[in-house]
Amino acid sequence: MNRRDFLKKTCIVGLGLSIPGTVDSLVGSLFASEYADIGVARATIPEETTHAAVTKAAIDAIGGMRRFISKGDIVVVKPNIGWDGTPELASNTNPEVVAGVVNLCFDAGAKKVKIFDNPCVDPRRSYQQSGIADAASAAGAEVSFMDDRKFKDVAIGGRFLKEWPLYTDVLEADKVINIPIAKVHNSAILTLGMKNWMGIMGGWRGRVHQNLDQGIADISEFMKPALIVLDGIRILTAHGPQGGDPQYVKTMNTVIAGTDQVAVDAYGAETLFYIKGSKLRYVRIGHETGLGTMDLSRVVIKKVSV
Amino acid sequence: MDHKRGPMKKHTVRTIRRLSQGIFLLLFLFLFIQTESKGLDELGYPVRIFLDFDPLIALSTLLSAHAIVAGFLFSLAVVVLTALLGRVFCGWICPLGTLHDAVGFFSRRKPAPDHRDWHRLKYYILFFLLASSLFTAQLAGIMDPISLLIRSLSLSVYPLVNYIARAFFDTVYVMDMPVITDGSEWVYGILKRAVLSFEQPYFLQGIVVGLLFFLILGLDLYERRFWCKHLCPLGALLGICSRYALLKRSVSEGCTSCGVCRRVCPSGAVIDKNGTWRGSECLYCMDCDDLCPEGAIGFGWKGSGEGVPIDLPRRSVLVSLMAGVAAVPLLRIVPRSRGDWFHPALIRPPGALKETEFLRRCIRCGECMKVCITNGLQPTLLEAGLEGIWTPRLVPKIGYCEFRCTLCGQVCPTGAIQELTAREKERIKIGLAVIDTGRCLPYAYGIPCLVCEEMCPTPEKAIWLEEVKVRPREGEEIILKRPKVDAERCVGCGICEARCPVRSQPAIYVITANESRSEGNRLLLNP
Repeated sequence: MNRRDFLKKTCIVGLGLSIPGTVDSLVGSLFASEYADIGVARATIPEETTHAAVTKAAIDAIGGMRRFISKGDIVVVKPNIGWDGTPELASNTNPEVVAGVVNLCFDAGAKKVKIFDNPCVDPRRSYQQSGIADAASAAGAEVSFMDDRKFKDVAIGGRFLKEWPLYTDVLEADKVINIPIAKVHNSAILTLGMKNWMGIMGGWRGRVHQNLDQGIADISEFMKPALIVLDGIRILTAHGPQGGDPQYVKTMNTVIAGTDQVAVDAYGAETLFYIKGSKLRYVRIGHETGLGTMDLSRVVIKKVSV
Repeated sequence: MDHKRGPMKKHTVRTIRRLSQGIFLLLFLFLFIQTESKGLDELGYPVRIFLDFDPLIALSTLLSAHAIVAGFLFSLAVVVLTALLGRVFCGWICPLGTLHDAVGFFSRRKPAPDHRDWHRLKYYILFFLLASSLFTAQLAGIMDPISLLIRSLSLSVYPLVNYIARAFFDTVYVMDMPVITDGSEWVYGILKRAVLSFEQPYFLQGIVVGLLFFLILGLDLYERRFWCKHLCPLGALLGICSRYALLKRSVSEGCTSCGVCRRVCPSGAVIDKNGTWRGSECLYCMDCDDLCPEGAIGFGWKGSGEGVPIDLPRRSVLVSLMAGVAAVPLLRIVPRSRGDWFHPALIRPPGALKETEFLRRCIRCGECMKVCITNGLQPTLLEAGLEGIWTPRLVPKIGYCEFRCTLCGQVCPTGAIQELTAREKERIKIGLAVIDTGRCLPYAYGIPCLVCEEMCPTPEKAIWLEEVKVRPREGEEIILKRPKVDAERCVGCGICEARCPVRSQPAIYVITANESRSEGNRLLLNP
């Protein structure tokens, strides 16, 4: 071929190769511009604002619950009820935030909302002392202790966790909403949304500690939550994940909502704990595998004051 | 005193008595089932109230611990009741007595074997127990009927019932049949809320305790109310209290010596055809009254006599008393009694008194083991010596001590385990966690773990992390965090042991060193 042909062909091939990217960002910006990726709500006058209101504001900032929940959905709402602690100790998700999410689900037309978690200690105390059982039941959710018989071995196909027993109620739900609380964690550095999935895992979870960050990334890749609501009303800043002393708790009156698990964790780490998302190995892995992005400059964040 | 009983009167007393027995048994079982955590700090029901009313326990605790425990003032009511009305407690109230009647229903209908003198055995047992209590050995709870019943139900019968229920419902669940499984799950849900335990309980020695209990009930097939007549020390105590009871049995001239009353008497109180009556043995079931063909028997205030006194040969009484006294030093000539000897696995519940005081109070009723939220409290065999058999100890491999729970102290009837606030309890050490670096994952294999550190519930963290550089067998040098126990902060709750991934023999485990209640077991001189 002559030089002109070569140049022409190179340009066409080059352009062609770059089109998926150009088309992608064209299409992406066309559809993404309607909603923000992350919504952050903060109460300006905490005494006059309910935690449920802050929660609603954060979710509304990314399109409202109707964007995620459809009429007739069976929804599993997965809070952190891991420990025997009252809300002031910030070891479990705030009960009002949980109740707020439950109410929003029903408002959006959900048929059933199920609430459960697999605590690390006695479930009766965890459910009761956290206030979540009472608050969620009052909002109409079906609160239950996890049943040993309802775990099924699932090939989650992770790099560390190939197969693990998971709770069938979660696998069979139409939508799953993750409501973690933001805490420091001595093994994982921070426990935010991705770590919260350990609560639907059965079996002997202690073994996951042998490669904890990879395990967290593995389970997060398997789960496809409709929404993540990160409870930052009170956060645990020392001796996590249990804490145990109010002096370890910092009140932030903040709720962060989003759909990208990696981005929510990265954003939560930076704004609540001033730790870069990349410092969390499981966030890095999630970013590298394409589960989400930890590069917050690429994420549309909408901040709201309530 | 009206001896004429018309046909309408037949079995009316029995019906009322059965009703009374039924109500008290149901109340007992209801309280038993409520002896379980619902997640709240307080239990909410007076679950130990049957023990509070028990005069034998009150008396033996008073003797051995030299202490009046407030709850036991209720037992005076039973003493007064018995002094006035005789052993109506045995015939109308005692839940174990009711179970004996239920089993006895299936016994041979022939006249009961005539063990003329066997009834004396329970008095000898009583004197033995009281004498040993006086010399500080608290053994009465082993044979007290209420304590025995609670212990047997807790350690054996209730786990058995739960096991059967779960096996049945789980089988139907797995079979997954269209309508039947849904129905079964619905019933299961109701039973779980109302009657079944939260989780299947497991207890050491559950088999032996169960066999003993079924043996005691099984004796009723041979002879009705065998236990009550021949073995029950509480029955003996109440028998003594009933010596001058105002409610008495009397026989009118209409008696034809037909012997029906003697045949039907379940307690051996009617000893001959003339209706001679041993008041201290009578359970006041009043069957003789109901079934006398001549209507010649009645129970009332103006009896014709006091009945036959309790006929115990003085020599036998002396022997049983002396045996009780001698038993105490005999039980204590073992190394356990040395003040500086501590068993590493005798982890007592938080709030337990120091060992000599504890053994003077603990009646081995099993309430604490029943209520323990994690099933961690288990009965000892010989860890506390033979004297301490069936007292509670924590076995973290079975269940750890839940950090903010205070239920065991709430249910203990004698104060062997003090009732504590959550605040107080969180500060008490029941032992110390120690790490075996030969099998702890980071130490022995260079594999990260730290489950123990995460599980440690103490706010200041009694397990801290030491960072070391380690060169594994293959590969580059890595930085590893290893757990270390802080002896000043560890309370010995055992959740680290319970959750250690080295399942068969945990790499971190609790020994009794440094327990708060024992001065001699202290580890640190200046904590």
